[in-house]
Amino acid sequence: MTTADELRTKPQLYYDDVSEGQEMPPLVIGPMTPTHLFRWSAAIENWHRIHYDQNFAVYHDGLANILAQGSWKQSILPRYLKDMCLPDGWPWKLKFQHRAMIVPGDTITVWARVTGKREVDGLGLIDLDIGMALQSKVETCPGTATIVLPIKGGKAIPYPFVPPQGA
Amino acid sequence: MSMTKNPLTDEIKALIGMTAEKVEASPPWGIEREGLRIFTNAIMDPDPRYWDDAFAKTTRYGAVVAPPIYCSYIGRKTLAGTEDPITRAFRENPNSDGIGGVRDGGPDQKGSLPPVPTSLKRILNAGNEIEVYKYPVLGDRIYSQAKYSQIQGRITKDGTPMLVVTVQTTYTNQNDELLCILRASSIRR
Repeated sequence: MTTADELRTKPQLYYDDVSEGQEMPPLVIGPMTPTHLFRWSAAIENWHRIHYDQNFAVYHDGLANILAQGSWKQSILPRYLKDMCLPDGWPWKLKFQHRAMIVPGDTITVWARVTGKREVDGLGLIDLDIGMALQSKVETCPGTATIVLPIKGGKAIPYPFVPPQGA
Repeated sequence: MSMTKNPLTDEIKALIGMTAEKVEASPPWGIEREGLRIFTNAIMDPDPRYWDDAFAKTTRYGAVVAPPIYCSYIGRKTLAGTEDPITRAFRENPNSDGIGGVRDGGPDQKGSLPPVPTSLKRILNAGNEIEVYKYPVLGDRIYSQAKYSQIQGRITKDGTPMLVVTVQTTYTNQNDELLCILRASSIRR
């Protein structure tokens, strides 16, 4: 896990320093517990019982266990890209699918691999494959993303972010 | 031999591009520190940009910010003084799954799109897209507007009819600045 101090002092990753095929540093979360899942349900007031009531999940819905929420996964992936871009890059966009389930006991590795890079209108766009893999290597959330990293000696990335024309 | 019909009827096609009313997604107090703390703890993100005023002032954002995805959850809160939706749901159905009945009539009915008129009842999550443009700051009032951005009809290889419905929700602040766009696709079969 990343600490507050690491995020406070994180050195900038530059467009120039990234190459196609590069594996980005992963974020490892877990092992997940029922308490983690319940905390998320309470935080967003999602009371669907399959996320915290094991009897209901197993005996009513026929699931193997309570399940981590898709909304939680949807919030972890942008957080990972944000960390990657800090302090002055921009985690522009991502898309992903929900595949395998995450259950208590699972440890999740959030990962990204560079699939391409391009300069558009003076901005450094990095295309990524992304995902959240279980300890078994099963992928739960495959997707793609585009982040924007500063180019050394280049212009600042606009904030609020304005996508470059033609990107 | 009977042929399965594509479930994308003219009535459903007419929904594509339909936009719901723009509504305030945040509670009356907007983005506030305690809700933000609870949310960022739940995603295990200790980033001081979310809580340390002195540090946040030194960043390019100039103030404490919130994750843009937070916009999509703050409208789900049960406001004080309203009938307890959990008690109501379990009174009506002792075996409630915690979803059915809990949200009915709640605040997230505002700004809803009309239901897709289909007999396909099973709903599966087909994926999500997120575009991020600006971080909300403390005190921001958040507005959302939903739209059927795409609806496609298909017949699978085994002859099962299905619809892929994509709802785009755009989040803005009180100054009409774009914060983020979410697209959620679901399969109906």
